[in-house]
Amino acid sequence: MAAESDRLGGPAELADDERAAVEALLYRLADDELVLAERYTEWQVRAPTLESDLALANIAQDELGHARLWYDLLRDFGYDEADLIFERDPADFRHASLAELPFEDGDWADAVVRSYLYDVAEQLRLEALADASYPRIADRVGKIQSEEAYHREHAQNWLERLADDEASLKRLQAAVDRLFPHALALWEPSDHEETIEDLGLRTESLAAMREQWFDTVIPFLRSLGLEPPEGVRENPEAVRPATIGRDGDHTDDWDALHEEMTRTYRELGREEAHKIMPDPDEADA
Amino acid sequence: MDVETVKERAGPREFSPKDDLPEEYRKAATRMIQFHANSEIMGAYLERPFIRQAPSLDRKLAFSAKVQDEIGHGQLLYRAAESLGIKSREEMLDELANGEGKFLNCFHYPMESWAEVPMIAFFVDGAAMRRQATLKRTSWEPYAHAMDKVCFEEGFHVKHGEDVMRELATGSKKEQQMLQDAFEQWWPRIIQFFGPTDDQSTHHDFSADVGLKTMTNDELRNAFLNAYVPKAQKYGLEIPDEPRIRDNGDGTYEVVEDDLDWEEFFTIAKNDAPGSHEQIGKRSRTQEAVEWVRSGLESWEHGEDTTAPQAAD
Repeated sequence: MAAESDRLGGPAELADDERAAVEALLYRLADDELVLAERYTEWQVRAPTLESDLALANIAQDELGHARLWYDLLRDFGYDEADLIFERDPADFRHASLAELPFEDGDWADAVVRSYLYDVAEQLRLEALADASYPRIADRVGKIQSEEAYHREHAQNWLERLADDEASLKRLQAAVDRLFPHALALWEPSDHEETIEDLGLRTESLAAMREQWFDTVIPFLRSLGLEPPEGVRENPEAVRPATIGRDGDHTDDWDALHEEMTRTYRELGREEAHKIMPDPDEADA
Repeated sequence: MDVETVKERAGPREFSPKDDLPEEYRKAATRMIQFHANSEIMGAYLERPFIRQAPSLDRKLAFSAKVQDEIGHGQLLYRAAESLGIKSREEMLDELANGEGKFLNCFHYPMESWAEVPMIAFFVDGAAMRRQATLKRTSWEPYAHAMDKVCFEEGFHVKHGEDVMRELATGSKKEQQMLQDAFEQWWPRIIQFFGPTDDQSTHHDFSADVGLKTMTNDELRNAFLNAYVPKAQKYGLEIPDEPRIRDNGDGTYEVVEDDLDWEEFFTIAKNDAPGSHEQIGKRSRTQEAVEWVRSGLESWEHGEDTTAPQAAD
């Protein structure tokens, strides 16, 4: 628990640099969840079985719900959903490149590997936010954590099942080769990382979380016969892709995705995104 | 049990897998439930692009949940069909992907814009609700049981669809015009949802005699028009001049059949319209692309997904 004196106040009580750091942190969280969920929904009506279709749709909706919770905290600073999603310059999004990569047709191995790499990272990230010095963030961690165990279980089960079959194992390895470097982007700092750490907005550094992530994912993948990129642990920078997303530098696939996501909004000439669900603060009350 | 006994006993939820039923009944029920299950899946192909294209985060969530529900309904219905012992779920899914499986006429027309969303999510789902509500009293108990859950969830879908329509109908002039255009395009298809008038229907007699169907197409169409014409008008929609629909003033309507394109309807019924090829092509391509997963899983043979955690409802 952060000491009482170190705790920050509400949205209106933050100094400029504090607010900038809180915003930077929230954009990373919200954008990761939104964009990954958006990709997951591509599997709806396309998954290998009706059961897996339902399961991944569930996960997509959980992540959309989490995105909603984090964007809602950005609304505290006066932004509305149009500012945050529909009218925002795609280059201002701060999600990791892992979230935005498209799925190749039928590449269920990608869905499973991506979900595993992300969900283990998310678990670590949430643990490090549980005692965040900004109460608005810390208060929302518990609700999200309660849904995340199912996501990891789902990804691990699928990895184990596919790894049992030789041809499927090869597809998993191809997905690991392609995705592992982009997963490193999850741990890339933003401009405000130093302030985030100094203020205790997160109780672990990105570097420390990355080590913990390696400790979990590398042995598990190896136990299934999957090999992470050579030397990734000793020298992650050599494996990291050129485009990481965190700094606003995205692949062309992101522009295309953002264009599609905002098509109706633009076609209808909307100026606001309508809320139809209760505000998270009221829903919790 | 012979067919005569089935006809004598026919009533709501009368028959279950415990009964020894004649093949004629089991085939008729399979045909009906398979059609219904296929429609759940194929409807989801129309709607899935609008998960991504929804104009707000809340709508996106609601739409993803709706598409998921439709797949869940398909799952329930295939199970109800499978329990008749005529076809396995795998056979029915194969038939759907290879173009033999039949499904609702409205799902043979791909959707282009958000203004079309309420045409499915309000009118077609509303029409389906009417039919499904009567199927809670169908004679095949597993089918009726599936309808309990399906109708419960469809109620939310139709409310959501109505809300999407309300938003468009009370939005800008442009939104209102787009909604009216979509309505004019879809209205004849929606009327055809209930099929031709009874004298042209081929399967009704037996299905009605054995209690699988409890209302005729005409009765369902009348009930739909009674409820939905006023709703369309409430949202400022103008009912197209054609097809001509005569209000008999006694709660029934007469649709001038010649105003509807039955050639197109029957081409669709054979899965042979351009939209049929497009939609079935999507199904077959996407299923082909994940065939490697299914063939890699031994348990798939049994249609069971034993190790993956079950999605919460």
